[in-house]
Amino acid sequence: MVSSGPVLRVENLHKNFGGVQALGGVDLEVEKGEFRAIIGPNGAGKSTFFNTLTGLIRADSGRTLFEGRDITRQSPDTLARLGIARTFQITSVFSDLTALQNLQVALLGYRGATWNPWRSARTIGVERSNQLLHLVGLAEAADLLAGTLAHGDQKRLELAIALAGRPRLLLLDEPTAGMTAGERLESIRLVHRIAGELGLTVVFTEHDMAVVFEVATRISVLHQGHLLAEGTPEAVRNDPQVQQVYLGDAVIDAERDDPEGRLA
Amino acid sequence: MRLPLAALLMVCGIAVPLVVSEFWTFIAIEVLVFALYASSFNLLLGYGGMLSFGHAAFFGVGGYATALLVKKGGLSVGLALVGAPLAAAAVATVIGYFCVRRSGIYFAMLTFACQMLLYTIALKASGLTGGDDGITGIRPTGILSNSIAYYYFTLFLVGMALYLMWRLVNSPFGYALRALRTNPGRLRYVGVPVRAHQWVTFVIAGGLAGLAGGLFALSIGSIFPSWLNWTASATPVVMAVLGGLHSFVGPMLGAAVYVILEVVISGHTEYWPLAMGCIILVLVLVLPEGLTGWRSLQARLRPFGGSGGR
Amino acid sequence: MLLFLISAGLSLIFGVSRILNFAHGVLFMLGAYLAVTIALLGPGTMTAYLAALIGGTAGLFVVGALIETGLLRRIYHAPHEFQLLLTFALVFIFGDVVKLLWGREDHSMAVPSLLTGATRGLGLTFPTYRLFLIVFGLLVAAVLWYLLQRTRWGIFVRAATMDRQMLSALGVNTHRLFTGVFAVGAGLAGLGGALAAPIVAVGPGLHVQVIIDAFVVVVIGGMGSVFGALVGSLLVGIVNAFGLLAFPSLAVVLTFALMAVILIVRPWGLFGSQE
Repeated sequence: MVSSGPVLRVENLHKNFGGVQALGGVDLEVEKGEFRAIIGPNGAGKSTFFNTLTGLIRADSGRTLFEGRDITRQSPDTLARLGIARTFQITSVFSDLTALQNLQVALLGYRGATWNPWRSARTIGVERSNQLLHLVGLAEAADLLAGTLAHGDQKRLELAIALAGRPRLLLLDEPTAGMTAGERLESIRLVHRIAGELGLTVVFTEHDMAVVFEVATRISVLHQGHLLAEGTPEAVRNDPQVQQVYLGDAVIDAERDDPEGRLA
Repeated sequence: MRLPLAALLMVCGIAVPLVVSEFWTFIAIEVLVFALYASSFNLLLGYGGMLSFGHAAFFGVGGYATALLVKKGGLSVGLALVGAPLAAAAVATVIGYFCVRRSGIYFAMLTFACQMLLYTIALKASGLTGGDDGITGIRPTGILSNSIAYYYFTLFLVGMALYLMWRLVNSPFGYALRALRTNPGRLRYVGVPVRAHQWVTFVIAGGLAGLAGGLFALSIGSIFPSWLNWTASATPVVMAVLGGLHSFVGPMLGAAVYVILEVVISGHTEYWPLAMGCIILVLVLVLPEGLTGWRSLQARLRPFGGSGGR
Repeated sequence: MLLFLISAGLSLIFGVSRILNFAHGVLFMLGAYLAVTIALLGPGTMTAYLAALIGGTAGLFVVGALIETGLLRRIYHAPHEFQLLLTFALVFIFGDVVKLLWGREDHSMAVPSLLTGATRGLGLTFPTYRLFLIVFGLLVAAVLWYLLQRTRWGIFVRAATMDRQMLSALGVNTHRLFTGVFAVGAGLAGLGGALAAPIVAVGPGLHVQVIIDAFVVVVIGGMGSVFGALVGSLLVGIVNAFGLLAFPSLAVVLTFALMAVILIVRPWGLFGSQE
């Protein structure tokens, strides 16, 4: 059945945007059950990497393998039906449909069942949709229009949509973007808990280090389109190169806020 | 809620020619045809979120196909009417393939360009289409030459077509379509091949419009290239918006109101376009939800008329 | 050249407000009608002609401003179908208004005596009026170029073509800008109509073909680019002329086919900006 190798494997991924090299040969392997964080300063290539993984952008060269299967040239909808789900940095739900309908559509989509032009769809997947809503804590919002939900609730709905197809790999693009500090930890803990319960492999990009160190099992650091470091959170935290890339910024900030070094 | 309404409509529909004059029966046929036409347009816009500037192309193709099949092919009315949606759907398949590659205003302009292409062909290929003179003398003979019989014939076909459309918009495909209107980007990531769905919707909408066109051509006995001119594409848009884009029956209501208004106003003045233009202005500025959206209009007017007793 | 004037206006309007003004053809037609009426004061004289030009342009400028402030402004945030319907409504309304005010028959306007006849040069004989049109058109193009490239207003317009939201964030009064652009666009159409009046039959059907040609030009040249409108109108003119010579019945098909191809392959036209 499923190969016992890594769930996701990226080989030598390159992407150029008109002369600007966004990805300069990235190699990555993610094992089953990992909660992998991809971090890096702005412009490091995180978004490009993510978009290439999910089929939005086509890489110039290199390969992406999912469960041993080459998915490099696949379209987003094919990837979704293969068991890879993603969420978006800017919350993206079907605002004119109710939360329940959002999930019904997702269920139909992941199953490839949207070609049926005859059967009544009103009752399809209602039970499972309600289950999913309950899982993310949105049980009472089932009949509310998704567009009227609060931002945090929309993010939960997005998570539910991503989970609808029983994915084996979950890709989260800045899952805590736009949240307050308190909300962030709560949100990522929810995702972590669900991922554990469902045996999911998760890869996420993130800016907030507190969030990363809270839940990540391994961290990959991207810098200027290359993989700078990779390893356990502790290892990465103590890596001198990483420190320079990140701490370099921190030193500058410290100088700006405290020029005389009185707080050293 | 829905079933009683449908039953009521059916009863009215059946009763109409029995209670009105022949002239109004003819108008009723027109209402049925345009109800289908407007609904087909709404499948694209209200459900699929695709605004087409060139939907009249399929209405026209259906009309021409029927006319040619009857006049030059010698086919019976029934067979010719099978040809109408097929021809329109075929044209829609080709046009749609290119159009769905673009979205928004570019999609709209492309449909416009395609319609004008067809218009030009209809105008110039006079050997086939009669050019400027169009095709005349295609009224049905036999049983269907009776307008009451033709009415029931149209009622049956339109009813069937609308029922099929009803099933479509409430099916998984229809749900995907509604999601498509809201957020086509997101839909891809839940596993739906969006472009393919758009294409198919385009073809179905085109086919339905074609059927309407064929029925209409037979009912008035002729067809002209002007059916394919760009101004003709305003008609389905007006009817759909007039009735209300976000309901299934909205466009049908809009079609009925539009047809009746045209008949009444044209009877009194030759400046029907002027009247129609003014109606559209009122519609767009005051009543954007259309007639079926009167509830939201009430809500908006309440601050002005509500607390009169104070 | 006339096509350029109309297309330039249409292109600008679309570039700035993203509204495809179907009513542009009737604006052209109104300009022609106004010119005809004004020229009746002194048929064939240069003064009447100039008055007609000014009247047509200024009149449409005002009409355009009124349309924008009174009607269009309310629907900028509405879905595209409403904007489409509104401009369509204007087509229907003005189409009939001209019939009401001027009757259904065609009108004509005399070419001013100074510009009648033909000019000879380079071994060719050219109708003087058409020569004048080309020269005048290039003059207007130059003025437009100057306006767009060298004035503050022009910079705002070009910026708006590329990024509207940014503009209002920068504190530019977008309302006035939009009104201005629409008025200028309408004025250009009116000017085109006034210039066309002496050489076309000014009747109620005048607008129908014009708008289609303008659309084709704007698509080919790029929505939002005046230079594109210039190039586009030249291209369309050439294709039409060539087509009429080579395959008369196919000439029109060619222009629409070209329009469709551009939309499929490069929808923002030759000089438009990608959004």
